[in-house]
Amino acid sequence: MLKGLRGVALAALILAVSVGIAACGGGGIGGGASEKVATVKVDPKPSGNMTISNWPLYIDKNTVPDFEKATGVSVKYIEDVNDNAEFFGKMQPLLAQGQSGGRSLIVVTDWMANKMHQLGYVQDLDKSAIPNVEKNLVPALQHPTFDPNRDFSVPWQSGMTGLIVREDLAPDVHSICDLFNPKYKGKVEMLTEMRDTVPLVMKCMGVDLSKATEQDWLNAIAKIKSAADSGQIRRFTGNDYARDLTSGDVDAVIGWSGDAVQLQADNPNIKFVMPKEGCMLWSDNMEIPVGAPNPTAAEAWMNYVYDPKNQAQIAAYNNYVTPVAGVKQVFEKTDPATAKNPLIFPSSKFTANCDTAPTLSGQEEQKVTAAFDAVING
Amino acid sequence: MSNRRRRLVPYFLLGPGILWLILFFAVPMYFMGRLSLDTGTLETGFRFNWQWSNFHDALSLYQTPFLRSFYYAGAATVIALLIGYPLAYAIAFKGGRWKNAMLLAVVAPFFTTYLIRTIAWETILSDHGFVVSTLQSVGIVAAGGRILQTASAVIAGITYNFLPFMVLPVYASLERIDPSMIEAAKDLYASPRTAFWKVTLPLSLPGVVAGTLLTFIPAVGDYINAFFLGSNNNHMIGNVIQGLYLTQRDYPAAAALSFVLMAVIMLAVLGYIRFAGSEALMGEEAVAG
Amino acid sequence: MEASAITRTVLPSAPARAWRWTREHGPNIFAALAIAYLLIPIVVIFAFSFNNPAGKYNYTWVGFTLSHWGNVFGISELNDALLTSLKLAVLATVISTALGTLIAIALVRHQFFGRRTANFLIVVPMATPEVVMGASLLSMFLIYGLALGFLTLLIAHVMFCISFVVVVVRSRLIGFDRSLEEAAQDLGANPLTTFMKVTLPLLLPGIAAAALLAFALSIDDFVVSNFNSGTTVTFPLFIFGAAQRGIPVEVNCVAIILFSVTLVAMGATVLQQRRAEALAATRPQEA
Repeated sequence: MLKGLRGVALAALILAVSVGIAACGGGGIGGGASEKVATVKVDPKPSGNMTISNWPLYIDKNTVPDFEKATGVSVKYIEDVNDNAEFFGKMQPLLAQGQSGGRSLIVVTDWMANKMHQLGYVQDLDKSAIPNVEKNLVPALQHPTFDPNRDFSVPWQSGMTGLIVREDLAPDVHSICDLFNPKYKGKVEMLTEMRDTVPLVMKCMGVDLSKATEQDWLNAIAKIKSAADSGQIRRFTGNDYARDLTSGDVDAVIGWSGDAVQLQADNPNIKFVMPKEGCMLWSDNMEIPVGAPNPTAAEAWMNYVYDPKNQAQIAAYNNYVTPVAGVKQVFEKTDPATAKNPLIFPSSKFTANCDTAPTLSGQEEQKVTAAFDAVING
Repeated sequence: MSNRRRRLVPYFLLGPGILWLILFFAVPMYFMGRLSLDTGTLETGFRFNWQWSNFHDALSLYQTPFLRSFYYAGAATVIALLIGYPLAYAIAFKGGRWKNAMLLAVVAPFFTTYLIRTIAWETILSDHGFVVSTLQSVGIVAAGGRILQTASAVIAGITYNFLPFMVLPVYASLERIDPSMIEAAKDLYASPRTAFWKVTLPLSLPGVVAGTLLTFIPAVGDYINAFFLGSNNNHMIGNVIQGLYLTQRDYPAAAALSFVLMAVIMLAVLGYIRFAGSEALMGEEAVAG
Repeated sequence: MEASAITRTVLPSAPARAWRWTREHGPNIFAALAIAYLLIPIVVIFAFSFNNPAGKYNYTWVGFTLSHWGNVFGISELNDALLTSLKLAVLATVISTALGTLIAIALVRHQFFGRRTANFLIVVPMATPEVVMGASLLSMFLIYGLALGFLTLLIAHVMFCISFVVVVVRSRLIGFDRSLEEAAQDLGANPLTTFMKVTLPLLLPGIAAAALLAFALSIDDFVVSNFNSGTTVTFPLFIFGAAQRGIPVEVNCVAIILFSVTLVAMGATVLQQRRAEALAATRPQEA
């Protein structure tokens, strides 16, 4: 009995020591938005060094060295954004304390850019230092709902989310609603990315996304849930649908346009199909986080990549949609086949029915995210 | 050595390691504990509020993934034992000069990174691949059926990835067995089978207990196998925690669920150890000498 | 008469012979099969390292090429990540094995106040979900003001390796025959010498197994590393990142090279064993 007590006493001692150590640090996790979002202060001439965080394999080999030569800034380019939520998860404790871990520039998708801005984690831009952006940003991307004046975000690359189909296995898939056809039971997949999957299903249900309510979201999620439970949907993926499509384990998926271009190169039967209801348009955006060292260099980078000549290099490597006007003309001279590819230079007719994901307010977002998460993690 | 110094020896031995664990495990866990009793969201900030409802929610909302995790981890552990024990036995008793080489062969696959191994398994278990076609022709898999995105694939994945955790401890304790004990048994007219069941197996029990614990405990919290090889209704409690933390950003709920998971595992482990009679492994036995 | 009676032997029946053959060779065959099972994915990875896809995805066989092998170390980010992971794994293994072995010895050999709590503290980290461990460490590092990078990665890796080392070494220590140590002490060795010359060498296989496990854990870790690496990129982090767009074929090549290093190590141990045996054979026989 006494021995047991001694054990408990020791445990209490360790706990007390831990609390003591913890108290030294103070502070906790999480924290609301700061009152006012700062605007970056930009020097006239860029110099020094900077760190950029971007998604993997999103840039060609030459842009960074060319930029370094042109401006004298030394760039550390790291590819540690694998997933918006995961990146946020590891950055959040830093950003809450006003630090960026040394990063001058980060690239995240629309909704995450919106969230970070709401939480006060990104700074507003000094537009006088990015004239190329003002001049060359394509009209379709100039006034997104989450950043109507492009105060804090500048698109890096854009893309479309639609259907990617094995035309040899499922020639009749032309709309999102077709994915619910029992003919394809167990042979379709949807994305874990809620803001791609659910709005597309809402479109299938006839919802006008500009007027979507929380109930519309929840109804679509319920529809997805019953399809998942019945085995209609094989699984929810990141971009590992690529493997399943290639091996023929699935017939059709909701997927991203850039992947379709890659998959087609090795298997011409895999095609991106613009759904009848339309697609989702999204961008990965460059922002300057709070506590960013050398914002001058960051804005110089933004300006640099918005020059059509420089952007053409990046666009040639990526298979996504470039947000910079004037690049198509460059391609028409150097690579006419790519200039005609609707996945890389979509015409406004091609994307006539496409939308950007509707934004959700705090409370709504919590409810909807929880509901969707429950479906994915059945 | 003076008596007082002798009494201090264990503390010196323990000191650095335990200190490391306290600083870098106990303290963060304390923070997590505080967080699990918070309310609020990222936007509004978290406030400490003795929010026991977080724990209540954790216990009531997530029973299915919980049970599923224990089932998958348990099945994988049993299979790993069935494969791993004979393998460890072969290496320890029949390995000879190949012993160390074989041990390295067991651990070698770990050097090729989880993701690449799992993708390789996806390729191997693909619906139209060799394995599934063969199993279909034999009748184990239904025609038009699949292995990927089912419980079997997840269990197979967990077994594969945790097999070294089973083999190494079992080997360590089998190798320790003094062959003269087995010879003595044989001299006393025991058949090889009896010698195994009555001498080898009991002597290797600490290794078996260690192996099963080292396999089962991390397997329950695993999420990668379920993520790649399973469908949404094969997801384990690790996936739920991942989702709560990263997707929903509901840190208090994630922390509460984590503590519940840890508590349940600890209870199961204590029960198991009592059952296996190996309190020795947990250091509960009295020390001789 | 006696001679023939002595030389006449009874042959075991055929089924008994078959059973004996199975008993003799069964474990070896099983071991071979089990190891083959462990190596199946490696074969697939190896095969696909010769693939020649036109796009960025390496999922379907397109054609044979050696070009990726020629370019194995051509992706600089891959090389950096690999070196970082190796450095990290070696350091983490050394530190955690040392700390863990000491703890195991203390826990098994000594009775002292706080034993149960120490036991508990060892086992709980194994039960903690990786996401929680990673995230809680991250928050704590920030509060302590430690810059994220190689050092925080090392701290995290050592932390989760210690428990595994303790459990493995402990299972070897239990049932350890103390009589050898007692004999050494009877011959006049002090406790430290006994430990260094008798205990430790006998413990070595267990320690080696634990170190191997720790190394494998460290080099393969993703979740905890993801949270605590700052801008440092380890090999698994690089691959998970690359998987977003398509894992380059060079990664398969590098994976096979890493695997082959262990094969080389295997070969080395076999050679060393053989040499030890040869040496033992040349020693004069005891009378």
